[in-house]
Amino acid sequence: MSPPQRVLILSACMVLLLAGPWLLGTYQQYLLNLVLVNIIIATGLNLLTGNAGQISLCHSSFVAIGAYATTLLYANVRLPFWLALPAGGLVAAACGALLGLPAIRLAGFYLALVTIGFLEVTQILVHELASVTGGVRGMLAPRPSVAGRLLATDLSLYYPVLAVTLGMLYAARNLRYSPLGRAFDAIRNSEAAAQALGIPIARIKLAAFTIAAFYAGVGGGLYAAVVGFIDPVEFGLWASVRHIIFIVVGGLGSVTGSVLGAAIITGLPEWLRRFQEYSDFVYGGLLLAFLVFMPRGIAGALADLRRGWHRSRARVAAIGSPSQ
Amino acid sequence: MSLALNAQLLFSGVSVGSVYALVALGLVMPFKAAGIVNFAQGELVMVGAYIALFLSVGLHLPFHLVVPITMALAAGFGIAIERAFIRPVMRAPEFTIVVATLAVGLMLKNGVRLIWQDNLYPLAVPFSTDVLALGPVRINPLLLYMDGTAIVLMALLALFFRFTRQGKAMRAVAQNPEGARLMGIRVSWVFSATWALSTAMAATAGMLLGALFGIHPEMGHVLIKAFVAAVVGGFVSLPGAVLGGVLVGVAETFSGAYVGSTFKDVVAFLLLIGVLLLRPHGLLGTPLARRV
Repeated sequence: MSPPQRVLILSACMVLLLAGPWLLGTYQQYLLNLVLVNIIIATGLNLLTGNAGQISLCHSSFVAIGAYATTLLYANVRLPFWLALPAGGLVAAACGALLGLPAIRLAGFYLALVTIGFLEVTQILVHELASVTGGVRGMLAPRPSVAGRLLATDLSLYYPVLAVTLGMLYAARNLRYSPLGRAFDAIRNSEAAAQALGIPIARIKLAAFTIAAFYAGVGGGLYAAVVGFIDPVEFGLWASVRHIIFIVVGGLGSVTGSVLGAAIITGLPEWLRRFQEYSDFVYGGLLLAFLVFMPRGIAGALADLRRGWHRSRARVAAIGSPSQ
Repeated sequence: MSLALNAQLLFSGVSVGSVYALVALGLVMPFKAAGIVNFAQGELVMVGAYIALFLSVGLHLPFHLVVPITMALAAGFGIAIERAFIRPVMRAPEFTIVVATLAVGLMLKNGVRLIWQDNLYPLAVPFSTDVLALGPVRINPLLLYMDGTAIVLMALLALFFRFTRQGKAMRAVAQNPEGARLMGIRVSWVFSATWALSTAMAATAGMLLGALFGIHPEMGHVLIKAFVAAVVGGFVSLPGAVLGGVLVGVAETFSGAYVGSTFKDVVAFLLLIGVLLLRPHGLLGTPLARRV
C-alpha cells in the first residue's frame, strides 16, 4: 500500500468510527460500546496468551476487579472518572502481579489450574464482602461524567470509550514490537532458549500478567459504565472461556485478531437469537473448529490471503500481463 | 463428645475424598498415557449421573442393572469423545488441549441442559439411608457405600494394571509410547481404553454424588477438587491421586466444621498453591527433568 492510499483508508475508517454511530439506534450504540470494551479485554488476554504463551482462565476475574474498583472509586470515593478508570486498572494490575508471583513458576495446565483457583477465590470474595460489593445482588454503577458533563446516553459514552480503546490498541501494537514484546515471543517459543539468551523470564512473565490484568481492569471499569450494573455471575469460568474464544477466533498473538474476534463474538448472540438454547454448542463448536482447522484464527487466514495475493501479483508482473 | 465429632468428620471427609479420588484417577490415566489433561472430566461425571438417572427413572431398570449399564455406556461415550474431539488435537500445544477439552465440557453441559433443564433430580438408591449409630458416632450409610465402591474399584484397577495383558500394555505406553509401539502394542487402542476406564470411573463418581447430593448440570464442579487431589498426589501416580483425594476431602470437611463453610471452598486452593510452591511434583510424584 502506498502512503497516500494508507492515509485515505485510515481517514475513511476514522470518519466511519466517528460519524457511523449517529446512524444507529440506541441498542446498536450500546452494542458498539460493548464491542469496544471487549476489544480492550481481548487485547490484554492476547498479549498474555497469544504473545507470551501463558494460559489464563481467570481473565474475567480481573475484569470484575476493575469493574468493582473503578465503580467504588468513582461512586464512593468520588474520584473523577478519568482518574477512577486508570486507578481501577491499576488495582487489577496489582492483583495480576499477585497472581503472577506463583504463576511464573508454573506452565501449561498447572498454570490453568492455579488461574481457575484464583477465579474461584475472587468469586468467593465478591460474595463474602457483600457490604462493599453488594454480594450476589450485584451493584449499580452510575453513569460517568467527564469534564462536568454527564454521559447519559450511549452515544455520548461512545466517544470516550472509543478514545480509550484506540489508545490501548496503539499501546498494544507498539508493545508487540518493543523489546518487551520480543521477549514475550521468545518465551512463548522456548523458555529455555529465551533464558539462554539472557531474557529474565520470571520478570517478563510477571510483566505479561500485570499488563494483561491492567487491560482487563480498564475494560471492566468501562464495562460497568456502559452496562450500568455489575452482576457477579458475569465473571465466572464461562466468561473467561468467552475471552479465550475472542482471541482463538480472531487470531492468537495478533492485535488485529483481538479486534476481529471481540467484534464478531460480541455480535454473535444477536444473530443467533433464534438458536439461543444451543449457544454453548455454537461456542464450543467454534472453538474446536478454529483450534483444529484454523489455529491462527481469522487474522492468520487474512494474512495468508494477502500474502498469496501479493505473490500471485508478483508472478504476473514477472511473466508479463497475459493480454500483451 | 469432641472425639466422636472428630471421628464423624474424619469419616465423612474420607468418604467424600474417595469420590474425589475416583475422579482424580480418571484425570491421571489419560495424562499418563497420552499427556492429555481433561478439563471435561467434571462434565463426564455429570453425564454419567444423568445416564444413571435415565436408566432408573426413564427405563425403570432395577438398581443392580443401572450401575453396570451406566458404567458400560459411559465407557463407550468416553471412547467416542476421545476419537471425535481429543485425537485431532493430541499433538497440539497444551493450550489447545486445555481449551479443546473445556469446549467439549461446554457442549456436554449444553446438551444435558437441553434435555433435563436446570432441575435437581434425586437418584433413588435401593437401600436404607437411615443414619447408623455406632456408639456416639453417627454415620450416613450412603457414605459407607461410597467408601465401599471406591475401595472395590481401586482394588480392581490395581489388579488390572498388575496382572492383565491390557493393564500391562497401558503401563508400557505410559512409560514409553514409541517403545510400546515397537513391541507390538496397539497404542491407539490403549488411548481409547484409558478413556473408557476414566469415563467409567467418572460415571461411578457421578452416581455416588447423585445419590448423596442430587443430580444437576453444575455437578461437574467436583472437577476442581479432583484436580487439586491429582496435583497433590503428583499427577502421574495412581496411589498419589487416591491419597490426594482423601487429603482434600478431609481438609475440606474439617475446615468447614472448625473455620466456616466459606473456608471449605478455599482450603482446596490453599492446598494446591502450597503443594505447587513447596513440592511441585506432588507427594508421590517423581521430579521431572525436562530435556531441551
